[in-house]
Amino acid sequence: MARQGNSALIEVYLERRQDLVRFFTVRLRSAAAAEDLVQEIYLRLSSREGPDAEIQSPTAYLYRLGSNLMLDRMRGERRAAARDRAWRETHRTDVGSDEVDETPNALAALEARQRLERIVQAVTELGPQTQRVFRLHKLEGLSHTETAAQLGISRSAVEKHMIAVLKHLARRLP
Amino acid sequence: MTRTPQHLDDDGVAEAAAAWFVRLQAPDAAPQDWQAFEAWLQAAPVHARAYEHIEAIWVELDDQAPAIAAVLDTPRPAPRRDRRPAPRQAAVRRARWLGIGGAIAAGLAVAVFIAERPAPVAPATIYAAAPGQTRTIRLADGSQVRLNAASTLKVSFARDARRVELADAEAAFDVTHDAERPFLITVGDSQVRVVGTEFDLRHRAGATQLTVRRGVVEVRPGAGDQVVKVAAGQQLAHEDGSHVAVVTPVNADDAFAWTQGQLIYRDRPLSEVAADLTRRFGRPVSIADARTAAIRFTGVLVTDSEPAVLRRLESFAPVRAEQTAGGVVLRGR
Repeated sequence: MARQGNSALIEVYLERRQDLVRFFTVRLRSAAAAEDLVQEIYLRLSSREGPDAEIQSPTAYLYRLGSNLMLDRMRGERRAAARDRAWRETHRTDVGSDEVDETPNALAALEARQRLERIVQAVTELGPQTQRVFRLHKLEGLSHTETAAQLGISRSAVEKHMIAVLKHLARRLP
Repeated sequence: MTRTPQHLDDDGVAEAAAAWFVRLQAPDAAPQDWQAFEAWLQAAPVHARAYEHIEAIWVELDDQAPAIAAVLDTPRPAPRRDRRPAPRQAAVRRARWLGIGGAIAAGLAVAVFIAERPAPVAPATIYAAAPGQTRTIRLADGSQVRLNAASTLKVSFARDARRVELADAEAAFDVTHDAERPFLITVGDSQVRVVGTEFDLRHRAGATQLTVRRGVVEVRPGAGDQVVKVAAGQQLAHEDGSHVAVVTPVNADDAFAWTQGQLIYRDRPLSEVAADLTRRFGRPVSIADARTAAIRFTGVLVTDSEPAVLRRLESFAPVRAEQTAGGVVLRGR
């Protein structure tokens, strides 16, 4: 198995460090936060063991790694709320019109459900092929390439469908 | 996450933000793309806001993916489009912005929910990936499970524990840490206990194989009293019906290779390769004779398409892949 090790990546990182800090300062609107994030990229690189075969451009990989760390943080913030919701859903004992009580928990669960309804509705407004792409790529976790193969379309077509999905959801979901 | 929607009315900006997001995710995005993106972000403050909105939606979709799939799969009494008269929808939305429509909207949602969703009698959820298909599942606690082809998983979360049952299946787990609610897996005749870690668990033909990439996992093989700890970089092997488990040091990434569209073998019998390919592509791959079955294989197979994989296999191992009506037959050369 081809493994170039991490030294090559770390070399590129050191070379591009300033560029990365500048870029993430724009993204995070804070130089201090950007420094932290760029440091975290370094930590990830030094603990990374996986095969490097899929990295086509080390520089682009570093930008993507940092951007994914930002997404991970957003995800972490969402999870506390999601846990509360899951709690309520799994502990529902009595289902029917009576079970809707006025506790803050019930309201939160209601709001979450309402939000879900809204997302689903927005998705069903998309064209059938766009919905299929959304489903395979976003819900079932196939890569762009795998989604393209499954549907017999090009990868750039998959990208166009995903752009349409995100544009539409951005308009329909505040 | 709620912010004034003015900038989102600008379709051009929303579309550009979506296009940047999708393009930069592609593995072939170039450094110049990132530089151009940086310039675009700086060109106007609404650009950055539109991009952050796309990111927020993306993350929300990650968390909601199983729920969205479940609702989409629920048969609907009437076509969804009938419920989309734009004016009413828009009016409700505007009212919500002003903060006075919440109660009305909530009332509508209750009605919709009770009418459309069957009562959750049993809290267990079953996830399945058909042959030829893999799936990523995000559980309610934030844990992520990647389900390999031809696998079934049963999940039920309770106050005291998160329980998962794995029958004939392989899955890679990234479990969220929660000391209050351990993650318990029943696999074959064994029990696996997890606090928060990343591991691949495979149960095929009565054999369990557990590979840990991060953290520590506890296993009670054969439901006996003995508890075996498996640490990062170790693999446990166990046969149903025995009370023995063997732990060996391994390269843990090999066991996760299927999540990256690869299969990695180090001195494995060809029969195992054939069984993996059958599951991966959903078409039977069989072995012509015992001599062929005993051939040992070492190598990495990128599982992009069945014909391409078979071609590579032919060049890596002394076999020929013959197409027959019932599937593919591997024969020693």
